[in-house]
Amino acid sequence: MADEFMKGFAIFTAGLLVWMTFAGWYNTESFYGTQLVGPNPEDPGTYTAMALVVKDAALYFALLGALTFWVLIPAGRRTRSYYASR
Amino acid sequence: MSDSNNEPRTDGSGPGIVAPDDEVPTWRERKERTTGLSRLTYEYFERARREDQDLRQESSYVERDVLGFPTWPHETIRNIALASFFTGMLLFLAAMLPPHLGDPANPAETPSVILPDWYLYWSFGLLHLDPLNPELAIAGGEKIMSDELYGVLANVVAVGAIAIVPFLNKGSARRPVEEPFWAAVGVGGVVFAFTMSILPIQDMFPWEVAITFDLAFLLPIVSAAITYAVLKTMREGYMYDLNKRYYRLRPPQ
Repeated sequence: MADEFMKGFAIFTAGLLVWMTFAGWYNTESFYGTQLVGPNPEDPGTYTAMALVVKDAALYFALLGALTFWVLIPAGRRTRSYYASR
Repeated sequence: MSDSNNEPRTDGSGPGIVAPDDEVPTWRERKERTTGLSRLTYEYFERARREDQDLRQESSYVERDVLGFPTWPHETIRNIALASFFTGMLLFLAAMLPPHLGDPANPAETPSVILPDWYLYWSFGLLHLDPLNPELAIAGGEKIMSDELYGVLANVVAVGAIAIVPFLNKGSARRPVEEPFWAAVGVGGVVFAFTMSILPIQDMFPWEVAITFDLAFLLPIVSAAITYAVLKTMREGYMYDLNKRYYRLRPPQ
């Protein structure tokens, strides 16, 4: 169980680190303005568009990965052992 | 899911220390155990344990039940790995997200919001307790001490209360549920720190200042009472589970 927590935690932190980096580059207006969740840049070039895709992918990877390892897999194991013990 | 299958029974049945034949790992479990990182980890700790065992057998010291790893190479490699990780993280953040360098301070202008560093908000809030500074009738309706001195004394009282706590309770409880009262004191203290932190910015809330000021003292008490009630309710079941596990008694039917 602790192992699954660590896997989920590693995915969560690593994914959010990648997301935070790209969000700090492309979605932060200024220090005093909106940080990390600002609007995407208008008319992005090829590399910027790729980076925005990677940013979104990292965010979904972090959230879904944590959900998988913290909720879905333990719940599945509990369900399986519950039906096995009946 | 029930754990009753994993617990030893009072009649002697249940899983023992020596695995019966039907508990010998299957080939799939062996495969999982012998692959990849888990195998490497296992071998590493097994080798360390073996070295430790050999050293103990060679030594003339009295055998003690202390498990430890040698400083070199085990602890050193681990520490280098940890230090490298944090150094790399610092370099990464400093390079990828360089910190904001603001304009130089303007000595001719006072900022609209003046706040210390965030970890001193609670102390700054304690300096804002001047509505509590009593105007004594015996002193002709004047305050016996200035508001500034009152705030400083409030800091002394708060820090003194925190310093006394370890002498009142030495903290042998493993979990908050074992000491509901002191857990409630702790929760109340943390909430008090937060409410004191919002006291300096009480003007920024859309309701009256007096409400924030009253809430700053009521919320810690309320949260401490809720914590005490919840933990006190949980305690009976917790202690029952603890005793059951300790004495390996069956629950009464």
